[in-house]
Amino acid sequence: MIIVKDLHKSFEDNQVLKGVNYHIHPGEKIVVVGPSGSGKSTFLRCLNLLERPTSGEIWFDGQNITDPRIDINKVRQHMGMVFQHFNLFNNLTIMNNITLAPVKLKLMSEEEAKENALKLLKRVGLEEKADAYPASLSGGQKQRIAIVRSLAMNPRVMLFDEPTSALDPEMVGEVLEVMKELAESGMTMVVVTHEMGFAREVGTKVLFMDGGNIVEENTPQEFFSNPQSPRLQEFLSKVL
Amino acid sequence: MQTIWQHIYAAFIEADRWKLYLKGLGVTLEVSFFAALLGILIGTIAAFLKLSTKKNGSKTVASRIASAYIDIIRGTPTTVQLLIMWSGILATCKNSVLIASLTFGINSGAYVAEIVRAGILAVDKGQMEAGRSLGLNKFQTMRYIIIPQAFKSILPPLGNEFIVLIKETSIVGYVGMSDLTRVANQMTSKLFDVFTPLLGIAFIYFVLTKVLSILLAKLERRLRKSDNR
Repeated sequence: MIIVKDLHKSFEDNQVLKGVNYHIHPGEKIVVVGPSGSGKSTFLRCLNLLERPTSGEIWFDGQNITDPRIDINKVRQHMGMVFQHFNLFNNLTIMNNITLAPVKLKLMSEEEAKENALKLLKRVGLEEKADAYPASLSGGQKQRIAIVRSLAMNPRVMLFDEPTSALDPEMVGEVLEVMKELAESGMTMVVVTHEMGFAREVGTKVLFMDGGNIVEENTPQEFFSNPQSPRLQEFLSKVL
Repeated sequence: MQTIWQHIYAAFIEADRWKLYLKGLGVTLEVSFFAALLGILIGTIAAFLKLSTKKNGSKTVASRIASAYIDIIRGTPTTVQLLIMWSGILATCKNSVLIASLTFGINSGAYVAEIVRAGILAVDKGQMEAGRSLGLNKFQTMRYIIIPQAFKSILPPLGNEFIVLIKETSIVGYVGMSDLTRVANQMTSKLFDVFTPLLGIAFIYFVLTKVLSILLAKLERRLRKSDNR
């Protein structure tokens, strides 16, 4: 579904990604872990070209999306993204946060989009917040809305960039719950996170990134019980 | 008490002198109004040009031109700009209100540009990223997300700029226009009374700017709706 070929990304002189190769298949839940500065967020942000790769290719559904002739806005309609800091649109109500993109991109009529939004809001238990503004919500509520906003586009893959890192501890659970449900529904997911419990429970594959490369990749079972590289062993001994 | 009343009577009421002030006020308002409109237009365009970047992140030619415009206008006195327009660039033009409006509009545009630019930059980068990640293009995200949020922080300094603009039009007397300040100035020499006409127009300027700031404060309150917790 997503094929990453020899992905390099540099910011000025700082080389963040040093030739990442990876293949994500439909239905997989890829969990990416690693120390800060390892390039895992940059890797994720390259997948929908929020960061333009310095070199290398990214293929999505048989299309090389790093080709400059590709309309990236069209591609992004099929790739949902959830951010660490939620990034709900502060000037819009929750309802309009969710319906803005599908309506303005003419994928749905206003009524359809609203109906769909209400359905999704019910799914995360926040339908009574439809007319509220983001400023009145808790972090956990904001992140659940952010997930719903992405889902409203009917994406084929969902990217999560440390979705629980900015949350108060007691709100982490509610967001992970929504993500788990989403995983069970069959969604293809790529999740950058520090939540090792989530990686173990939900991931189909866990990647360990360090120094701009994928150092190790395995099933959660093997990844946590039988880490191969010394770097991963050291990392796990610190976080578990 | 008697003399204060006499001064006021002489300065404003005798021989229908208030009509002169009223005319002067008309000129001041006319120039301020058109200059403000032009300033918003030029300033907004210049702000977006200055913010424009190429795909690789470097500045466009338009961005450099906008920067140069802002630099030059902010770096030279308004009076000098007015005189250059009056006796140089537009010397053949007979419409003095037009010349003054153009001058102040171009001048104000440079300040408005920086105000607008700062307002847009103050919106969290994540807002643009979220918009783009949903498939909205840059223009759509600007229009529906960034500009509405930027507008809230642009409004107070923009109001400030208009207040400055209204007061700054008081230099049009330099090129012979009879605005509020010039009328008062002429009155002081005619009546040998320095204070009353000037205090009178100071009061009028104050009322103008106060009304403007009240209106802007009202608008601001309405825009703050989405901040309510």
